[in-house]
Amino acid sequence: MEGILITTQKALHLLVTGDQELWSIVILSFSVSLKAIVLTTPPAMLVAYSLVNGNFPGKRVILAVFNSLLSVPTVVIGLFLYVMLTRQGPFGDLRLLFSQTAMVIGQILLCFPILVALGFATINAADRRVRETSITLGAPWWYTILTVLYEVRFGLLAAVLTGFGRIISEVGISMMVGGNILGYTRNITTAIALETSKGEFAQGIALGIVLLALAFVLTTFLTYVQGKQGMSK
Amino acid sequence: MIQPLVVFRGIEKTFAEAKILRNVDISLYPGKCILLTGNNGSGKTTLLKIIAGLETPSHAEIAFSGKTQSWKNTIRSVQKEIIYLHQQPYLLSGTVESNVSYGLRFTSLNRKQIRELVKEALEWAGLANVAKNQAKTLSGGVQQRVAFTRAWILNPKVLLLDEPLANMDIESREQALDLLKRMKSDGMSIVITSHDANIIDGLIDSHFSLSDGKLD
Repeated sequence: MEGILITTQKALHLLVTGDQELWSIVILSFSVSLKAIVLTTPPAMLVAYSLVNGNFPGKRVILAVFNSLLSVPTVVIGLFLYVMLTRQGPFGDLRLLFSQTAMVIGQILLCFPILVALGFATINAADRRVRETSITLGAPWWYTILTVLYEVRFGLLAAVLTGFGRIISEVGISMMVGGNILGYTRNITTAIALETSKGEFAQGIALGIVLLALAFVLTTFLTYVQGKQGMSK
Repeated sequence: MIQPLVVFRGIEKTFAEAKILRNVDISLYPGKCILLTGNNGSGKTTLLKIIAGLETPSHAEIAFSGKTQSWKNTIRSVQKEIIYLHQQPYLLSGTVESNVSYGLRFTSLNRKQIRELVKEALEWAGLANVAKNQAKTLSGGVQQRVAFTRAWILNPKVLLLDEPLANMDIESREQALDLLKRMKSDGMSIVITSHDANIIDGLIDSHFSLSDGKLD
């Protein structure tokens, strides 16, 4: 018990004193995951909108595929990407393995189905009159899409926050295609795994506190957003 | 002899093997108002949405600008002249001003011109005092007038109104009716669906009834 207390004290000390190594890991985590979520959101929302309002064959099958991809383990995505990016793989010449770019690509693969599935549910629940009103008032198709997305923005923001929470806390992809290189590809989750395996718990606990704080902030914000959504109806 | 603005011919609509509309013809004349009555589920809303290009018919032809072509080939150009208003209008997030200016964003008008037009329209509709209010917070009657103004400002040739005066109190109804009369006198062709013909008596030029998918 005393050991845990001392380690937690050390962890808090690392956080409070602004330990450079620890905070560089935190910044790298946020940088990679923010890039991934920013690059994923627009195309995922377009796909979700098309699945709701488009009139083409195979819509249900595509939706079923995205829903199935929600439960794919991150290590499987990591393995798939590793095979693609390894020297002998089809994209080996790009030399992306063990880079932040590879981590971003992996996180995009992870959160794309999440954003499509949650985006679909949100847009599908949108009032049908929004689209009809926009069309009848002469809006071009792309403005109608923006109008519908704006009207359900709180639900979509909740979807994006959920996706962000998922990718910043994943470990499988980052470990396999990032390689856990200090100062380059080591993020919060891979650092926790490494420090724990070394028996150095202080940094792991400090990083765990950062992740828990993030989870708390995201959940609080989600609750606030859902409250706003409820009020705007 | 007044020429019709647009004529819809042979409108048919089938939902899951049920024929909702059977060979319906309807001509829309400038400055004239048509009342469309029928029981619930008789296809009034479907007919209006087909005319507005918001729903696809199983078959229909449109005579417009001297040519008769299929609905599919003509609806995009006709749609620009037609505005459809829901029974309960959907006002977008934002102020009354931003709602009324929505359709003007897709015209060649600049911001200053849009601002002036919106101001003028809000005064026309007696809504200047709520211009900065959040549209969704207004009462049903005022929301309906905002929707009328949002349509009127675009100067459409045809206005399709689905039960526009339902669920309104007497004062709101009279204000809305007054706006509709002014729209009609501006030369708009108006089609209204209503259960109660007496409410809009002074507005109607012709009356059709939809039953068994046919217009009588």
